[in-house]
Amino acid sequence: MWLPFVFLLFGIVLGLLTDIRIPEEYTDYLSIAVLAAFDTLLGGIRAHLEGKFDDKVFISGFFFNVSLAAFLAFIGVQLGVDLYLAAVFAFGVRLFQNIALIRRYLIEKRYFMKKRKKTEEK
Amino acid sequence: MLTLRGNGDYMKSKYNLIVLLVFLLAGFMIAVQFQSFQKPKERDTRDTWELRADIQKQQKTQQELYANIQQAEKIINQYQYDSITQTTKTLKNSVQQLKEEAGLTEKKGKGVVFKVEPLFQESMKDVDVQVYPVLTQELLSRLINELNKYGATDISIADERVISITPIRNVNGNIYVNNHPLPPLPFEIKVLAEDPKKLLSYVEYSSIRDYFAIENINLLGKAKDTIVLPKYDQDIHLESIHLLEAEDANGE
Repeated sequence: MWLPFVFLLFGIVLGLLTDIRIPEEYTDYLSIAVLAAFDTLLGGIRAHLEGKFDDKVFISGFFFNVSLAAFLAFIGVQLGVDLYLAAVFAFGVRLFQNIALIRRYLIEKRYFMKKRKKTEEK
Repeated sequence: MLTLRGNGDYMKSKYNLIVLLVFLLAGFMIAVQFQSFQKPKERDTRDTWELRADIQKQQKTQQELYANIQQAEKIINQYQYDSITQTTKTLKNSVQQLKEEAGLTEKKGKGVVFKVEPLFQESMKDVDVQVYPVLTQELLSRLINELNKYGATDISIADERVISITPIRNVNGNIYVNNHPLPPLPFEIKVLAEDPKKLLSYVEYSSIRDYFAIENINLLGKAKDTIVLPKYDQDIHLESIHLLEAEDANGE
């Protein structure tokens, strides 16, 4: 369970140590891609807690969402419409939903564990 | 470990690794994004010499401000402690001084007279150009800016006094100064300055003469000891400036 987070941390450390900076005109794309990545990661965690985790869905979802978000931002720049706001909105809403569900599952899990302990003690 | 539904242990470990790599990639992206938004702090890279120069500049400003305050206080004193006749005199003096500063009076002094005239070159005869050179409004504005930069105190263009709100406009191809059309070339631009010779040499060596030459206009300056500038002969309309109440002005 904790190995993915170790890898996430490892990725962050790696990114900070390599000192890579992308040009300013591309930061919009990366930021929207990062948002999509966040969404997918949290979605994966939620699915895992629900016991419905499918790695194919997770991996394809990650790459597809990230590229779609970047592509949407690109199209928006070309057309002069702030289409990336659509991506921000969609991913933002899903982010909150996923976090809420994860929180609920964690609370329920702990509650059940306590209950089980109590019944075992009895 | 994440529960995975692979076919056999081989598939399981393979997908597991990819999932972990996705997490790694996501972390990497976040770090890069974070770093791209971190701007390096601006450091104060001035050395001692530049700092000293800056301080001197500020001190000079301070001294000027002190001098201004002193003068203002002197005028206040005159108003407060002198008799009515003297107060009236002071008031009249102030008004006169303000009028002079605003350009509402004739002004005499040393300065430079620029003659703006067509520049006929020898080569022009062969080309047979029949167009009489015309001054453009941008060029005139530029000249006035340059003159002010080089220390001109008062300017008049073809007997139109240039004050701080003088408009220079292009109306149907004619240049209007103070809402009066400029006469065709040649005309004179009179400039008052503290040091006319310096101003003249500045203008001689600046690129403004080249710009005039491009329009086939010659700008010939001559320093003179006494020049009389005409007064600004129209009313000054200040639409957006209002009088404060006396109490407010005193801060009571």
